[in-house]
Amino acid sequence: MRTVAELNLGEKGIISEIDFSHPSSKRIIEHGFTPGQIIELINKSTFNDPIAVSIRGTLIAIRKSEAGCIKLK
Amino acid sequence: MKTNVDVQIPLITLVGPPNSGKTTLFNTLSGKNYKTVNYPGSTVEYYTSRILAKYNINAELLDSPGIVSLIPESPDEKIAVDSLYSHPKLGVPDVLLVTVDACQLARHLLLPKQLIYKGFNVIVVLTMTDILAKRGKKVSESKLSRELNCEVVSVNGRSKKGIENLIQKVNLKLERLNEFDKGKITLNHSVKNDKTSIDFFNEIEEILKKIYEPLNPDDKIDLASANKELVVLQEEISNNGFSPDELTLKIDRVLLHRFWGFVIFLLVMGITFTSIFWLAQPLMNLIDELFTDLNTLVVQNFNPGWFTYLISDGIISGTGSVLVFVPQILILFLVLGLLEDSGYLARGAMLIDKPLSKIGLNGRSFVPMISGYACAIPAIIAARTIPNKKERLLTIFIIPLMSCSARLPVYALLIAYLIPKDKSWLGGIILGGIYLFSILTSVVVAFIINKFRKKIFTAEESSSFILELPTYKLPKFSSVLSHTYNSSKQYIYRAGPIILVFSLVLWFLTYFPHINPQVETNGITFEQKQNIERSERLEKSYAADLGKFIEPIMLPIGMDWRIGVSLISAFAAREVFVSSLALTFKVTTDDDQSQNTLLTSLREAKIQATGQKLFTTATSAGLIVFFIFALQCLSTVAVSRKETGGWKIPILQVLIFTSLAYVMTFITVNGLRFIGIQ
Repeated sequence: MRTVAELNLGEKGIISEIDFSHPSSKRIIEHGFTPGQIIELINKSTFNDPIAVSIRGTLIAIRKSEAGCIKLK
Repeated sequence: MKTNVDVQIPLITLVGPPNSGKTTLFNTLSGKNYKTVNYPGSTVEYYTSRILAKYNINAELLDSPGIVSLIPESPDEKIAVDSLYSHPKLGVPDVLLVTVDACQLARHLLLPKQLIYKGFNVIVVLTMTDILAKRGKKVSESKLSRELNCEVVSVNGRSKKGIENLIQKVNLKLERLNEFDKGKITLNHSVKNDKTSIDFFNEIEEILKKIYEPLNPDDKIDLASANKELVVLQEEISNNGFSPDELTLKIDRVLLHRFWGFVIFLLVMGITFTSIFWLAQPLMNLIDELFTDLNTLVVQNFNPGWFTYLISDGIISGTGSVLVFVPQILILFLVLGLLEDSGYLARGAMLIDKPLSKIGLNGRSFVPMISGYACAIPAIIAARTIPNKKERLLTIFIIPLMSCSARLPVYALLIAYLIPKDKSWLGGIILGGIYLFSILTSVVVAFIINKFRKKIFTAEESSSFILELPTYKLPKFSSVLSHTYNSSKQYIYRAGPIILVFSLVLWFLTYFPHINPQVETNGITFEQKQNIERSERLEKSYAADLGKFIEPIMLPIGMDWRIGVSLISAFAAREVFVSSLALTFKVTTDDDQSQNTLLTSLREAKIQATGQKLFTTATSAGLIVFFIFALQCLSTVAVSRKETGGWKIPILQVLIFTSLAYVMTFITVNGLRFIGIQ
């Protein structure tokens, strides 16, 4: 199953689930990353990490290690 | 109207997610007339104020740091959330004003949903409705109010439209306070069958389907933009009705570009960094001159005696050394405030997160670290924005290694001594090299400290970087200015008394017991007499005794008691080093030539015990190295203790950095001598 960390630039995906074993999972959900939401990879920073994604109309920068626990359909 | 005078003043608390317009609303309601309060036993700082008289509400208004939800992550957030349930001094808020960005309802409604669920007395304040209108949308206040089951008011932060309406609703709430039962609100972070964030989000999605209305048809919309909006609207349907600001996406294509993004970032930071020095320099000179003149005025007009010197050299010079940094701090906060308000700073943190995470830091450590080049005190305070405790402590730990501006006069003097007169261009290169060296060493030190951090701090390990990148907007100058003003005031209040007290202690050590030396007064001017007296006094002072006491450890690094004394006096403020060096080497003229005279007397100075020349290339380079590393600033120690909540970190900082300074100086001096440079 692909995760948000594996999205290509400009690619969209739909969130299927969040890996609750990740220590940041609660925080990730509170930022609006919930199942069913459309997510788009907008920018990558110079060192490829963190990435900037668009969710619920907002840009959010997130580390790849944390984006990895957001699974896509 | 209430007639009971004994009624406690109601408490209105402002809460909201970051970037939801909370601070703007606070400024509007308080008229920027606020004071900072610390929560007992923590470093979380809040602003409180009375609501402006013109609004006719007798209530205490409390601002709180931005929180995303009621489930806290960092220790500071936990305090912020706990205090909503029960503030140790003010109790449960009577009314909560929750700001939410109308363009970001899909995320921002989480907090008000949670607060209403917990039983708080909530009024939702919709902000940025003008931006939503530009996108061709409007939120129906009445529908949202019905869905949330609480009052909803739109307020425009810039035009203040809607404030009157908000005031009316607040007054209504306050009149009906007796119907509101605070007792129902209970603190329960961990109730198992509580609603989860996902439940709330599902409800929010249902709400969002019902609350949007077309813009008022009477509003003027030109056809071209209306058509554009239509296209945007159609796109949005596939994206749950929300998409980021188009202009922001365009700007980010440049500012977050894979290559140019980082180049621009380095440029922006370089300009910020140099402006701290070059813009502030004339103002700093002005303040310095003012206090020197004041000092001379006192000395010339009063009888020489300990009391006169206490006033002139103790209090006046001490106050001067506090205020001389104010221009730099003002400019730093101004530039950072503008960058923050425009939305760029969050991008900067994103760009630098990866490199910093390699040494155990976080993208959010960056602003505090840059601030450290002006002054460690506001920098350590700025580290509060780092949510992870481990990363915050590590950031505070290495901030003293950032070469703060107080070291600049010392570098300038020693560089002037090192380089030949006809090669003054070399000075800039050496100075640049010093800064580069200090950046590199702080990276190495952070790396090493990070390896041993488990022995130093016991904090949670999970590191996180999730940061909202706000929509770009023109900074609001007035709010940046008021923030700058308040931060600078905070510096003066926080660091001022400490610096002043230590200046007085050092004044005592350098003036007593030989307070009134007798000197030959024939044929010399008043200033010359003053200066001879000063150096006589210093030579026989307690500080000199202390300097002689530490001479055995100064000799291996090629220095003697006189430099020791100057290093001790530099503990009040590093820039004191130069003036105290001048005193110990009996510089007797006091005019523009003084630095040259000081240079000459430094060139001739010899170590009394060995007869060797004191200031050689090797020892001067050694002194520069010493100043790069040593934590010689007692105000930094005091702020570090306050911010880390204990003595452990400040004591470790002093021990590690000072011994590192000593060892590195030893290596520099003896290394240079070994390869034949004296």
